[in-house]
Amino acid sequence: MIAYARFTKRFGERTAVEDLTLRVEPGEAVALLGPNGSGKTTTLKAAAGLVQPTSGTVLVGMPGRPACDYQARASLSFLPQRVAFPESLTGREVVEFYRRLRGVDPSHADAALRLAALNGSSGRPVGTYSGGMVQRLGLAVALLPSSPLLLLDEPTAALDPDGLCAFYGVMERRKAVGQTIFFTSHHLGDAERLADRFAILVEGRLAALLTTRELADRLSAKGVLRLRLASAPDDLLERVRLLSSRATWSGDELIVPGSAAGRAPVIDLVRECGATILGLTAEEGRLDTFYRELTGGLR
Amino acid sequence: MTVSSPLALCAAQELTLAVRSRATQTFAAVFAALAIGVAASGYILSGGSGVQDFARTATSLVQLVLLIVPLMALVLGTTALSPDRGASELLFSQPVARRTLLWGRLLGLFAALIAAQALGFGASGLVIFSQSGGEGVTAFLLLMTGAATLTAIFLSVAALVAGAGEGRRRSRAMATAIFVWFAAAVLYDVVALGAASMLRSGAASRLLIVAVLANPVDAVRTGLLLAVQGTTAFGAASLALLRFAGGPGRAVFLILAGAALWTIVPALLAARRLDRADI
Repeated sequence: MIAYARFTKRFGERTAVEDLTLRVEPGEAVALLGPNGSGKTTTLKAAAGLVQPTSGTVLVGMPGRPACDYQARASLSFLPQRVAFPESLTGREVVEFYRRLRGVDPSHADAALRLAALNGSSGRPVGTYSGGMVQRLGLAVALLPSSPLLLLDEPTAALDPDGLCAFYGVMERRKAVGQTIFFTSHHLGDAERLADRFAILVEGRLAALLTTRELADRLSAKGVLRLRLASAPDDLLERVRLLSSRATWSGDELIVPGSAAGRAPVIDLVRECGATILGLTAEEGRLDTFYRELTGGLR
Repeated sequence: MTVSSPLALCAAQELTLAVRSRATQTFAAVFAALAIGVAASGYILSGGSGVQDFARTATSLVQLVLLIVPLMALVLGTTALSPDRGASELLFSQPVARRTLLWGRLLGLFAALIAAQALGFGASGLVIFSQSGGEGVTAFLLLMTGAATLTAIFLSVAALVAGAGEGRRRSRAMATAIFVWFAAAVLYDVVALGAASMLRSGAASRLLIVAVLANPVDAVRTGLLLAVQGTTAFGAASLALLRFAGGPGRAVFLILAGAALWTIVPALLAARRLDRADI
């Protein structure tokens, strides 16, 4: 469990997070979304005990203890956004160090290295690793203990397709055994695949707290249907506007904003009018547009 | 050997890192080469018939220790302890008290630097004692103890320097570390003696006593010269301290007390700063 209660963090004049109240319940996977500089990393680091609240409290574990109490951190594992290790150590030495520091069974070290697909290169110094390999090593370290709470800051940012596949596999297994996952991401795909709920931070403030369904609906409403047409009758736009008032022409393309549910009637109407559909694309709403809308709502 | 306490683990890891570090290896090689050079020059100056005399050679080694050891501890300590964002975030998110991690790292660095110095002392000791027999073994061991004391003091200062400063940038911390070394090992004496020369005898004497005790390099110099050569090699400041203390025993006590404070206080301040820092 993580409980932020009126958590505020200021760095000098700059307010990184303001008055955040949020609970992540045991067994839940919550994605923390938001544009760059919205306070996601600070929020996550506060739960990892790395950042002290300017005001408010951050409790972790069951029962909740202040995250800055080092003993409370026995219940969590944290993966930083840009992880780094001493370059002269080998991957195995890094994993062994953290394994011993956490008092984890030796068998976990091999499992973690296998999971990160580093078992073949674990004897090499970290200085010879690529960026993706370093990130995977960080993931291996974060997943070493079976902590009830995982804090992951952009865990998929540097993963290749194989790494992503392994990562999703582990996360789904961890979720299945009831571990709590609180993570940040810029990729809607990651968030939708893993999260039960979405907390959206904009300019340091909690702008929305949504379920998977609610987020999908909100994004879908910001979707666009694009139809490239031939032989369209002159009154087609007027008729389409009865279904979607913001429809417009762009060259030979009919652009129809709106949710996925409204697209089939538009296509049917276009066909009824005798127009030939040469091409069709549909886009779901994008997170950045959604953030802009939320920013507007906050002001 | 398997170590399990967080303190021992961090110390062992830092020792491994320091031993593999090019900078540590370079410092060890330079210190060894200079120490052998000083020892061999004592032999050459004697006309090849033996070390000229132990005290004179050891006094040259004292000067070498006072210059190189603080620089080694400050530079390597600051490099190792300056926060590296990605590594620090992972390390300090573990369920271990921040100051335990700091003590462990300082212990590991201390062990690595003592090992690096041991190479130089061992090689120069071989040169000296192969010529002089057993004369001066105790003084030589005290010289090594003085070097260890300076290492502890300046590692403690390095911990404070590494954690200080807006943004805690490595380059800024390193510039501060080098300035601290220059001020303590070179500039301080010139300023203290210059200021004393402008004062009346009594005030100058008091200033010099404070100056010796306040600067760990001067304090250790006084202690080492006392161990190696007695009071004959003392400068004005060391003599003033000796007179103030009323004898070598009390002077050594004051020096040891000063060294203990210089080791403990900066490390405690660094730990306190680390406990409160946002990482």
